[in-house]
Amino acid sequence: MNHQSTFQRLTFLLLLVFSVGTAMAQYYNGEHTFDGENKNETSVSVTIGKNIITGPCIGNTVHYKHYFNDHWSVDGGANLQYTKGLYGFKAKGEYHLKIKKFHMFASGEYMFNHYHSYNTNENVGNLSVRFERGYWDITLGGSFIGYNMMGDHYTEPITLTFGAHAMLRPRTNKWNVGLLFRNYDDFYYENWNINWGLDFYYKFNPRWKMFGEFNIRPAGSMSQLASKYETTGKIGLIYRWK
Amino acid sequence: MKKSISYILMATALLAASGLFSSCEKVSPQGVLMGNTSVDDRVKQSLVFYTFFDDKMDKELPDTMTQYSFLVGSDSHITFDPGRLEEMIDIGIAHDDLFFCHLGDLADTKPEYYANTSLGLGGCKIEWMDKYLEPFIDESHTAEMGYFIDRRTGFWGKGEEFTLPFYPVVGNHDITHNGWALFCDQFNTSFYEFTVKIGDNYDRFIFLDSANGTLGKYQIEALENNILGHDGKQIRHTFTFTHTNIFRPSLNEFASTYCREELYYILDKLADWRTAIAFWGHVHAWDDRKFGEVHITMPSMNFVDHPNGGDDLIVRVTVYKDDREPKVEPVGLYCKERSKEELEKWGYYVTTK
Repeated sequence: MNHQSTFQRLTFLLLLVFSVGTAMAQYYNGEHTFDGENKNETSVSVTIGKNIITGPCIGNTVHYKHYFNDHWSVDGGANLQYTKGLYGFKAKGEYHLKIKKFHMFASGEYMFNHYHSYNTNENVGNLSVRFERGYWDITLGGSFIGYNMMGDHYTEPITLTFGAHAMLRPRTNKWNVGLLFRNYDDFYYENWNINWGLDFYYKFNPRWKMFGEFNIRPAGSMSQLASKYETTGKIGLIYRWK
Repeated sequence: MKKSISYILMATALLAASGLFSSCEKVSPQGVLMGNTSVDDRVKQSLVFYTFFDDKMDKELPDTMTQYSFLVGSDSHITFDPGRLEEMIDIGIAHDDLFFCHLGDLADTKPEYYANTSLGLGGCKIEWMDKYLEPFIDESHTAEMGYFIDRRTGFWGKGEEFTLPFYPVVGNHDITHNGWALFCDQFNTSFYEFTVKIGDNYDRFIFLDSANGTLGKYQIEALENNILGHDGKQIRHTFTFTHTNIFRPSLNEFASTYCREELYYILDKLADWRTAIAFWGHVHAWDDRKFGEVHITMPSMNFVDHPNGGDDLIVRVTVYKDDREPKVEPVGLYCKERSKEELEKWGYYVTTK
């Protein structure tokens, strides 16, 4: 009984925070866009955590992004998960458009992952649209996932990609803490396995920024949420230059 | 002003929805969002049972048998009428199937529904005993001593030692609202294996607990450490049974599968075991395919139209003494509806309190 009332209170509180956050959203210039000066951006991050297959896991990712102008950008990244034996890379193109007070980002992405322990190669295509305002963003799209293993190939039916992210402070702020809820991460797209967690950033100056994330990856959705599959913490640095 | 009103309306609607969501028993957050047991705890409990009953589950068929068959059903979601489960067992007994497997979501989790399931299976056990058991008489056992022998497997013992050869695994709907306690009370385990010997060949049957959408750390360690040992027997065919599916059969299929690495781990494990057929449930859809050397099939006893007639679908597998590949054959269920009065007459709960 107590358990249930705590859960209900928590649900109400989260919905309230989300609603208030939505109402407070202010105009901003768009943070994931070309700042008019620095056309290059690189980031490096370290991820550590624990999952049920490998136990402790550690790895790192690197990204490079180039802004051609206020509308177009390209992004490339690599993922090296040492204990998992998972190695991947991806390439992404993005188009940015400002519609009234919203920033819309349409992106196309190709990702390749090699799961060394299972001799599996995974090819992923993704088309997504992200809507962003000062305090929140939502992502909707579709993933096309195929894999080769056991001498065979399987292409999954198209999977819905969805994500929601709400932040405590406006994006223009020097620091921020956010709540995330999504079925993907930088280097994987899931079916109905829903990740959730906290993220943060701190801007040292217009060029340097620190970011991090605490991510809980449950085994499934709905009544299968009870078991976690993986928990990870990520911390990294972003640098922008002309 | 207009904007503020729309935000207030939106917040009110969200709060009202969450209130409704929280108060309705059928969709309570505890029921829909949370299973009350972890897979690790269930596996630990299952292994205690398995340690004591490992040998008793193995079957050795007489030399005269040239083949055997078994039935696989899934997602029966029994509530007031366990008819579809009884129909499956009736079909099996009529065909002389050796045993019955179930891939989880056996009953919706209420004590009344499990009581109905228990009652239904109890009736089936009597039918099964009538057909296959005969008094066991030898130099030291007389008819009056009350021993029986299963004439197909050679297993003998007192009447109460026999159980219906019904082998289920637990599904996600079996673990909400403390469902594992109800499931475990009747079936004891959801992680086990047994072998069937026909001629000189041993076939292996592995049952895995994936009700939480994961095998969990403890079960994976148990598998890696070969805790489900088969005592060095040379295995010919391996069959695996579990609830959560590997493949989503269609675009609009929203049931969750495993996280990506675990999905590849499981497929790789099936290949390691040289699995002949893997059975999965969860999605209430018929799917049948070969991936690598593994035949993967997905029956459902809930709202799936059988391709050759019947409302729902179970699968019969025939395994031969010689080297022929096991044969997979879909079987239709017709799920005749029974009236409330008829169910009440047989002692089933027809309402919940």
